[in-house]
Amino acid sequence: MTLQGLAQILASGLLMGLIYALIAAGLSLIFGLMDVVNFAHGEFLMLAMYATFGIVVATALDPVLAAPLVVGAMFVLGAFVYFAVIRHAMRAKANIGMVQVFATFGLGITIRGLAQHVFTPDYRSIQTSFLAGRTLDLGGVFLPLPQLFGGLLSCLSFVALYFIIRRTDFGRALEATREDAGAVALVGIDKNRVFALGWGLGAALVGIAGSVMAIFYYIHPDVGTPFALIAYVTVALGGFGSIFGALAAGLLVGIVEAISATILSPSMKAVGIYLIYLVVVFMRPRGLFGNL
Amino acid sequence: MMGTQELHDRRTTASSSEPERLERGAEHSGSLTAFARGRRRELAVAAVAAIVIALLPLGIHDVYLQNVLVLTLMYAALSQSWNILGGYCGQISLGHAIYFGIGAYTSTLLYTHAGLTPWFGMLMGGTLAALVALGLGYPFFRLRGHYFTIATIVVAETGLLLVLNWDFAGGAEGIQIPYGPDSWAHLQFARDKLPYIYFALGLAVLAWLVTFAIEDSKWGYWWRAVKDNAEAAESLGVVVFRSKMAAAALSAFFTAIAGSFYAAFVSYIDPDSVMGFQLSLLIALPAVLGGIGTLWGPALGALVLIPLTELTRSYFGGSGSGVDLIIYGVLIMVIALARPEGLMSLFGRRRKSRRGP
Amino acid sequence: MIMNRREIIVGGASAAALLGATGVRAQQPSEVVIGAVYQMSGASAQVGVDAQHAFDTALDVINNSYDLDLPLAKNAGLAGLNGAKVRVVIADHQGDPQKGRAEAERLITREKVAALIGSYQSAVAVTISQTAERYQVPFLSADNSSPSLNRQGLKFYFRPGAHDEMFSKAMFDFFDALKQKSRKIETLALFHEDTIFGTDSANAQQKLADERGYKIVTNIKYRANSPSLTAEVQQLKSVDADVLMPSSYTTDGILLVKTMGELGYRPKAMVAQDAGFSEKALYDAVGDKIEGVISRASFSLDLAAKRPSVAKINEMYKSRSGKDLNDLTSREFMGLLVLADGIDRAKSTDGEKIREALAATDIPGERTIMPWKRVKFGPDGQNLDADPVLLQWVGGKFVTIFPASAAIAEAKWPMNA
Repeated sequence: MTLQGLAQILASGLLMGLIYALIAAGLSLIFGLMDVVNFAHGEFLMLAMYATFGIVVATALDPVLAAPLVVGAMFVLGAFVYFAVIRHAMRAKANIGMVQVFATFGLGITIRGLAQHVFTPDYRSIQTSFLAGRTLDLGGVFLPLPQLFGGLLSCLSFVALYFIIRRTDFGRALEATREDAGAVALVGIDKNRVFALGWGLGAALVGIAGSVMAIFYYIHPDVGTPFALIAYVTVALGGFGSIFGALAAGLLVGIVEAISATILSPSMKAVGIYLIYLVVVFMRPRGLFGNL
Repeated sequence: MMGTQELHDRRTTASSSEPERLERGAEHSGSLTAFARGRRRELAVAAVAAIVIALLPLGIHDVYLQNVLVLTLMYAALSQSWNILGGYCGQISLGHAIYFGIGAYTSTLLYTHAGLTPWFGMLMGGTLAALVALGLGYPFFRLRGHYFTIATIVVAETGLLLVLNWDFAGGAEGIQIPYGPDSWAHLQFARDKLPYIYFALGLAVLAWLVTFAIEDSKWGYWWRAVKDNAEAAESLGVVVFRSKMAAAALSAFFTAIAGSFYAAFVSYIDPDSVMGFQLSLLIALPAVLGGIGTLWGPALGALVLIPLTELTRSYFGGSGSGVDLIIYGVLIMVIALARPEGLMSLFGRRRKSRRGP
Repeated sequence: MIMNRREIIVGGASAAALLGATGVRAQQPSEVVIGAVYQMSGASAQVGVDAQHAFDTALDVINNSYDLDLPLAKNAGLAGLNGAKVRVVIADHQGDPQKGRAEAERLITREKVAALIGSYQSAVAVTISQTAERYQVPFLSADNSSPSLNRQGLKFYFRPGAHDEMFSKAMFDFFDALKQKSRKIETLALFHEDTIFGTDSANAQQKLADERGYKIVTNIKYRANSPSLTAEVQQLKSVDADVLMPSSYTTDGILLVKTMGELGYRPKAMVAQDAGFSEKALYDAVGDKIEGVISRASFSLDLAAKRPSVAKINEMYKSRSGKDLNDLTSREFMGLLVLADGIDRAKSTDGEKIREALAATDIPGERTIMPWKRVKFGPDGQNLDADPVLLQWVGGKFVTIFPASAAIAEAKWPMNA
């Protein structure tokens, strides 16, 4: 393997890792807030990609410009899912973890069925972005512009998340609610509102990822599934609830995947990710940055 | 705070025999207590249910419905096995497909390569799966909650990828069990479903009886204590750890037997259908929907879920419009939300009110 | 009374069938039902939906009168069964071998289908073919290409189309022909998914390469539906073989081509094992990036010049699906005609009789819409005269370039020339 080849693998892994991190961030945020693992996360991603596709087809906008609309729509969807489904799952007196897992699992299947019903199971893709197909050539190391753009958005999203969590009233309410949902009610914070905002924010993050991925990926009802599994492992690897753990773990997963595809066989590349997860949690049972 | 809240909830909702059990612990009386009467009633219900199911195929000649019955019983047995670890010990595994796959592959490889009867292969597969569960249990039980669950997913997915790339076991092509004359020794029946129905019924009954025995054993008592109370967990640490290892082994053993059975039933296995993540979810789903950590939950869950998925696929699946997925998904959601303690809670309430006055 | 109820269950569907059954019990049914088992939900559901259109087109040809030189086209219905109409019942196997088996069993025992057709995924074809054998009902494997299927020693299995070894052989024949014209082809790179389809295809290609003295410089097996193929493409790029030979479905095919573009890898030539590379969706997405890609196929619209029925059938199919016939849908269409022709000649819906009639099938290539020499099954149920063609994607459409007998243009080689 040439040095150039190695640099390419690391660069590609890093860019993919930033996307993984962005997908995982939404999952981690929701978990951190209310201990819920959203098993419909892959379907959220899929919906965001279809939403981008739909806006591009309907308005001929560049997908880059459609992104804010998609993110807004995903925010609404996230909040809606909280009110329509999750709020009821939280009411369960016993067995709450599994209720949420399977309520969101059922939600995911429903969304997939609806997507197939509405969009047909045909494969779609977006041709028209000014980013599509462009590549930055750094001395033989190729950095595709859509992925670079995705990586950049991912970094910006994490910076924005940092400010939201640390510097805004909403962030403080978020932190307080996650510490003790019962007590915040006493100081007049509406728990439901905070949770709904959290779900909206989580879905919006995946919306960012989806609107970028729509440029360089294919779109169909099952597209979210492989990403969802990686996102679960990423979140656990970084530590449930830790946003910045998700970032670190996403980068690690991206790089490990690229390297193990090269040194193991490509069909076994996921094994590299799995082994890293096992090694990390055996040493740190709460993941890289998990608290509690 | 949380602990006592949960304890309270469990008493009132989850397991109907809980108060009686505690009562018995206090009394230490040897006579026929309410608790023992309750257990005898459970046994009687089980016996009646088993006999009714055993008689069913004599009235149902439709091969398709018989097929649904086999699957329902198989998933009842699987979910019952899963429930031992997931329900009673509270160790939520979403990687049980690996044990299923070990069972399916062990018996099939022994049969196709060495000509050994699947009855022997089944025991070998079960033993191997139990050993793997013990090996994994040692490091895994230190992990909590979702970290444990994701570790089980990750291990099962690794197993899937290994088998996919294992040429001796057929890789992606899978293994076909050669087509031969009907035989109990080879567990092969060309058209007849009755032998498979009775095998699956036997397995489901066995898994139920094991669960039934555990409920009243000191293991069952420890696990409940640990689930409800962190201090109890401290003091019982080592013995509980060992009993959980044993539960993992038992759970894996029965799951693998069901895997061997599946291989004989379908007479073809490939990695994606016997080791996939979907299968792990399907193994856990009946227990969760029926009532996790309850004696009857997995059977009830399988009874509702499996016929429904089969029928929706058969009646709506041919259109390609996704309607079968929508129905299936909404059903899971509705049960999970409307009956968070599982469908068993429907019965618990009725029984309670009957006993009330 | 009991009799009537059974009839209802057996008939199971249209009012016409019921009326026919409750009237004078005719010796021959007024309707022949054929069961089709496809994936109608999940990742490959589009294939099932397209197959449904192909079957509808075939039923139109069978059940109505058309002036086409195809089996069963001239008269309405099956002449051998007093003009009985054919109906297709579609069942969903969801890509799961167990469900494929259960649905095949349901179609046979409940819908009383005379024969089965299917199933796209080879793993599911294994269990369907075994079930068909157990119930002595013929299974026509329309679009499965795994060579292991006809080697199971089954009597009720029939495949009119080619399998992967026959397809791969056409590719290597093509390479040999190019070499004779002193083009340089020495190294090959295989890129295949980790499913039955992918491994069978790669094994056949590996074997042929060894026999004919081509060097395989890399043989990449990748996980189907991977989130990313960057590292894989990097390896392909670093060896830069004379020919890149992918065996991928649509999703991975799209991702492969996009990733190649992103990493600046332009293969000298690409010869694909069909699947994704015969799908419109792939060319809609990335067709411009792989101008000159070659795919093996069972079908070509260029045949219309030689076989007039091709254009008409394509038009009929297109009005239903909005797409041109492709490699899969053409085989599904033709498969149903071959099967119905067998039932017509059997003059019966009895499985064994249909099997005998199918085994005696001999349809000349001119009476098909395929480039085949003829349809005539060997003892293993495989049609050895199903000659594949190679198509090249040039200027937004496919052009037949091989074999010479079917070709309408010279191959552009290498593809970027």
